[in-house]
Amino acid sequence: MTATIGSSAPRFDLDLFSDENLTDPYPIYERFRAAGPVVYLSAIDAYALSRYDDVRAGLGDHETFISGRGIGLSAEGNATRKGVIIASDNPLHDQLRSVLSERLSPKAMNVIRAEINEKADALVASVVAQTSFDAVTDLAQAFPLTVVADLIGLPAADRLRLLEWADAGFNLWGPSNERNIRSLPVWAELIDYIVTQATRDKLTPGSMGAAIYEAADRGAIALDQCPQLFVSYLVAGVDTTINAIGNAVAYFAEFPDQWELLREKPALIPSAFEEVLRIDAPLQLVRRYCVRDVEVGGTTIPADSNVVLIYASGNHDDRKFPEPARFDVTRNPLDHLTFGYGLHGCAGQALARLEAHAIFRALAKRVTRFEAGMPVRRLNNVVRGLEHLPVTVS
Amino acid sequence: MKVLLDRKRCEGHGMCESAAPELFTLDEAGELIAHFDGREIPANLEESARDAVRVCPVAALAIEQTP
Repeated sequence: MTATIGSSAPRFDLDLFSDENLTDPYPIYERFRAAGPVVYLSAIDAYALSRYDDVRAGLGDHETFISGRGIGLSAEGNATRKGVIIASDNPLHDQLRSVLSERLSPKAMNVIRAEINEKADALVASVVAQTSFDAVTDLAQAFPLTVVADLIGLPAADRLRLLEWADAGFNLWGPSNERNIRSLPVWAELIDYIVTQATRDKLTPGSMGAAIYEAADRGAIALDQCPQLFVSYLVAGVDTTINAIGNAVAYFAEFPDQWELLREKPALIPSAFEEVLRIDAPLQLVRRYCVRDVEVGGTTIPADSNVVLIYASGNHDDRKFPEPARFDVTRNPLDHLTFGYGLHGCAGQALARLEAHAIFRALAKRVTRFEAGMPVRRLNNVVRGLEHLPVTVS
Repeated sequence: MKVLLDRKRCEGHGMCESAAPELFTLDEAGELIAHFDGREIPANLEESARDAVRVCPVAALAIEQTP
């Protein structure tokens, strides 16, 4: 293994993306953090940063740790994201970002806030009326799917496959394993759908989808960049928010005292959502390409190497967050790493907050206690969340 | 100490306002007002200023140490 020459990084041979390790990655992250500031993962030929300060500094240094050579761990996966904002460096990144942030910035949220709050309230009222429901499929999936599809302006009949496409999109961030390979044809279907079916004439006028084409009309982007921006909306806004909401209900069921705190003091809702994001990041990690020799905590990462920045590990670093495994809705960990940080900091985070706060508020009005049955976890190479969570509410 | 605001990067997430309301306010339109833009931060607000820089999700804020 020549990649470790010139680096004193402790080496791990484990497969971070095996079923077993995806089921519970936190003990492994703890071993990484204890072993040193940089560890070398032989199975994927990548250096990993796992401590809070290092992950954050790595995200902040986008000139050393670049995205344009791919943000995933397989060549096939990276090939599917050519020209996509998340896998772009500047100046391309800023050009694409300005089109997205026009519609996704907190300012833009003011326009849609009332509508999202109403939708959340109506959905929560209808599921709570059933007393027993699946917090993932009936609530956590149903809400962002409707919100995102409406915002993008997709025809109603086309929405059913969004989940499968998003799941495939994130599996393609991982190494070239079975989950990755089986996602390639699913991804090809999404691209075909965008190019041949979700065409401009099918999109709701005034929607975010239509706005992408309007940006091309005024020359802010080229017409052939539209599908890549479309992908960003479709994939990034679905799986992430879904898992955050599903995880939230699981935590509120497991820690009824924390739910009680939130109900007594709804002003804690924003803090509670940040804590949900911190304690189990829906997106666990990202890959960067390191373009120069760089020293992290006395260990060298050589130029031209893969680097994995593990958000979820940084979020559990007790140097930063005392008692990191404790779910505490009063913690307000605003600088968690779940949305990334800096240049590529999540462009849709204001929308995620708007959706989640609306759901939490609607639940807090109606639910005093969640009783959860056995959760079913869905395994994805980089996304962490549940497939099912049966709950009974009172 | 000064806080530098990169307007081009700022998207108006408002985290700085919650960390340091004395230093930052979002106006009605959602535009960020930096009350000490280009000026020395009073000593008693330096810690809040550091908090604001720390929580900015898009790294639009930076500390400039002045002699």
